[in-house]
Amino acid sequence: MTVKIERGQIVTVERGQRAARRIPGLGLLDGMAVVWKHWAGSFRKNQGFNDIHGVFTFEYPEERPKLPEAYRNMPILLYDEETGHELCTSCFQCERICPPQVIHMTQAKDPATGKPVPAVAEFVIEYDACMSCGFCAEVCPFDAIKMDHEFELSTSDHQKLTVFKEQLNRPISYYERIAPTMWAEVREGAMKKLQGNIKRRPDVIGMAPNLAEKIAARRRELEAAAAAAAAAAAPEAPAAAPAEGRKLTPEEKAAKLAAIKAANAAKKGGGATAPDTPATEAAPADEKAARLAAIRARNAAKQAGEAPAAAPAPEAAPADEKAARLAAIRAKNAAKKAAEGADGAPEATNVSAPEPAPAPPADGRPAPSGEAAGTGAAPADEKAARLAAIRAKNAAKKAAEGHDPEGS
Amino acid sequence: MYDIVNSLINVAFGWGWPGWVIALISHLAVTTLLFVIAPFQMLFLTYYERRAIARMQDRIGPNRVGPAGLFQPIADGVKMFTKEDIVPTAADKWVHFLAPCVVVAPTMLMFAVLPWGPGMVPADLNVGLLFFFAISSISAVGLMMAGLASSNKFALLGAMRAVAQMVSYEIPAVLSLLAVVMLTGTLSVVQLIEAQAGLFISSADVPGIPDLGLGWFIFTPVGFLAFIVFFIAALAEGERTPFDIPEADSEIVAGYMTEYSGMKFGLFYLAQYVLNFLLCAIAAVIFFGGWQGPGVGWLYDRAISPANPDGNWVFNVLAGFLGVFYLLAKTYAFFFVMVWVRGAFPRLRVDQLMDFGWKFLIPLTLVNIVSAAIWVALLRWGPEQGITFTQNWAPILRWGVAFVVTLAVNVAAYIALARIFAAAQAEQGRIDLDEYRDTLTATLR
Ligand code: SF4
Ligand code: SF4
Repeated sequence: MTVKIERGQIVTVERGQRAARRIPGLGLLDGMAVVWKHWAGSFRKNQGFNDIHGVFTFEYPEERPKLPEAYRNMPILLYDEETGHELCTSCFQCERICPPQVIHMTQAKDPATGKPVPAVAEFVIEYDACMSCGFCAEVCPFDAIKMDHEFELSTSDHQKLTVFKEQLNRPISYYERIAPTMWAEVREGAMKKLQGNIKRRPDVIGMAPNLAEKIAARRRELEAAAAAAAAAAAPEAPAAAPAEGRKLTPEEKAAKLAAIKAANAAKKGGGATAPDTPATEAAPADEKAARLAAIRARNAAKQAGEAPAAAPAPEAAPADEKAARLAAIRAKNAAKKAAEGADGAPEATNVSAPEPAPAPPADGRPAPSGEAAGTGAAPADEKAARLAAIRAKNAAKKAAEGHDPEGS
Repeated sequence: MYDIVNSLINVAFGWGWPGWVIALISHLAVTTLLFVIAPFQMLFLTYYERRAIARMQDRIGPNRVGPAGLFQPIADGVKMFTKEDIVPTAADKWVHFLAPCVVVAPTMLMFAVLPWGPGMVPADLNVGLLFFFAISSISAVGLMMAGLASSNKFALLGAMRAVAQMVSYEIPAVLSLLAVVMLTGTLSVVQLIEAQAGLFISSADVPGIPDLGLGWFIFTPVGFLAFIVFFIAALAEGERTPFDIPEADSEIVAGYMTEYSGMKFGLFYLAQYVLNFLLCAIAAVIFFGGWQGPGVGWLYDRAISPANPDGNWVFNVLAGFLGVFYLLAKTYAFFFVMVWVRGAFPRLRVDQLMDFGWKFLIPLTLVNIVSAAIWVALLRWGPEQGITFTQNWAPILRWGVAFVVTLAVNVAAYIALARIFAAAQAEQGRIDLDEYRDTLTATLR
């Protein structure tokens, strides 16, 4: 007899009729009848959770059970195929909650500024010690880590069980396939958060490393943007610099001051002509670059002041900022040249600091922007692009500032 | 076989060899054949049992080696052969070595009297049935040797249980066969089968019954009860669940086989399955007509046989195949029931086993012997033996009266004995409980 309950049936074994029990031994036949039913029913498959007959066996390697969506084995990381970006923001929530502490990660940093970026540089899960608790997937605020259905992980190579990001990465479509409803529940929020995070990721940081074409494409895009910015930068910069309406930090103020002084020195140093290219658009990157350029110019000026002949700049420059160093070196060189060229120009001594700024007019080259564009296009990464932009702007600014009063 | 070899050598080739050479050749051929067949039976039965029990447990069973897993037992055999043979240092080496042989040998000897088909019996002993059961109890000696020689408490326990069980259950087995022997008046297995021609009624009891080879003893009340008792006893003798007490693996590891490994263990295994096969076969022979079945008798009448030397050998082959088919079908059906019982019931306790054998089965078989006596008196005896009132009855009426009377006696005896047994068991349980409580209170005090 079976009792129906909400989730299925409860099977209760009843003893036979009282009359049947009067004949001894019939109970044995009841027991054999139960077994017979199982035997007779075993020539078909079991139908489901309410079916107590039929073969339950899955002939495993050939026949695979349909795993429930919520089945969890090992955690994986998701990335979005469309943008190529990983969902993980390196928030360390999973690392913190993991009971056996098998999750390790390093956060990605912007190579230009050294500031952390909401993306993960390397992500390691020790599968051999993971206990498949699923806490990491539950706690992740960005739905970046999910539990996989893959369970054939046995290997003779223990090292393989320390899994790195490259192997952990799965496209979202994969997760959508193994757990459609679970993904549908979180999809919208996850994608929204991802869009927000992509905006805060410079360069190709945060892109799944296996998507080589995507990354390459993104690089080209960035380079094109940099080139455009460099081309646009030359005449537009002076306008952009004063256009800054916001409050300036002390460094920025000092930088501006230095820039102006440099310009003045240049003015005094002699008139030079710069091609007058029309300004196009002022990208936010340009603005930032302008600011940076100002800072660097000031740094270079300072160094030049301390060591007018050939002060070794690299030590003074921030160690991690290659670009800054480069800029500083160039500035110093320019200063040197200016000093040599201005031998006969006593004005140079009039300036409060021995300025490197006169360089551009001294060069007198009409193609600072062209040079900048040329150098900006060659290096593969954005760093160089930015550097080129800075240099171009620097030169342009000085040229413009030196030229303007005469022109007007 | 003698006939075939004789006709081949002396008639076909005309060599005129003496009878003893032909007898030697035929016996050697038969023995070789049986020694090949027996292990293959065992291999097949292990596969068969595993598949059947798996289905009863909603599984599939071995299905990887060969088609549908048919070569699984061969793979197991290879495994057995390649296992290391370990003899415990404390063991009595010679006895330890001999025990498996002593267990296997009788099972092989038992094949000697097993008729496979019409005219296909290795040795038609006139005491075939006695031989069969006398030989089968020799293996108890082997079990005891194994248990004693192993110097292992589990092995010893298992051996003692095995011997106690075999000795106890041989009595009901033999007593139940006694009833059948009374019906036929013969101990020859071949004649037992021949007495089961007919159609639900043995043509030996009622002449003129059409012979479809279905006059099996199972269709008589005496034979039915005897079969039930015999089958239960066979379960116990073959150490099948629910009587697998000697090798109760959850209690005493593997009983007398505990200290055996490799092929010696394999021999015990072989002996056990061959014994089970033989018990099923002999049950089929005694109660289900052996090779008897529709068509075999008709075919055999036209074949070469001592009674009919001018027959056609084609009918020999046909009758032989059909007879072997019937016998094997019945045997495997019984083995299926053995597996079925194994799937259904848990293991008994030793005292339950003994109680059941001695207090229930033996009285029941004794009553059955009385029934058999009634049957014989009503059907066979006449005025010469002092039975006069059946004199003018037609044979079918005699049969009917005998059937009803023995049925009534057997059913009444069964119910009464079962009730008594159940009451006694309940009482025993109560007494045990009281004793236990007393000892408990005594120790607590
Ligand atoms: S499933 Fe549990 S044990 Fe495994 S990585 Fe996630 S939190 Fe850690
Ligand atoms: S996987 Fe999720 S929880 Fe873990 S660091 Fe990345 S975003 Fe945070």
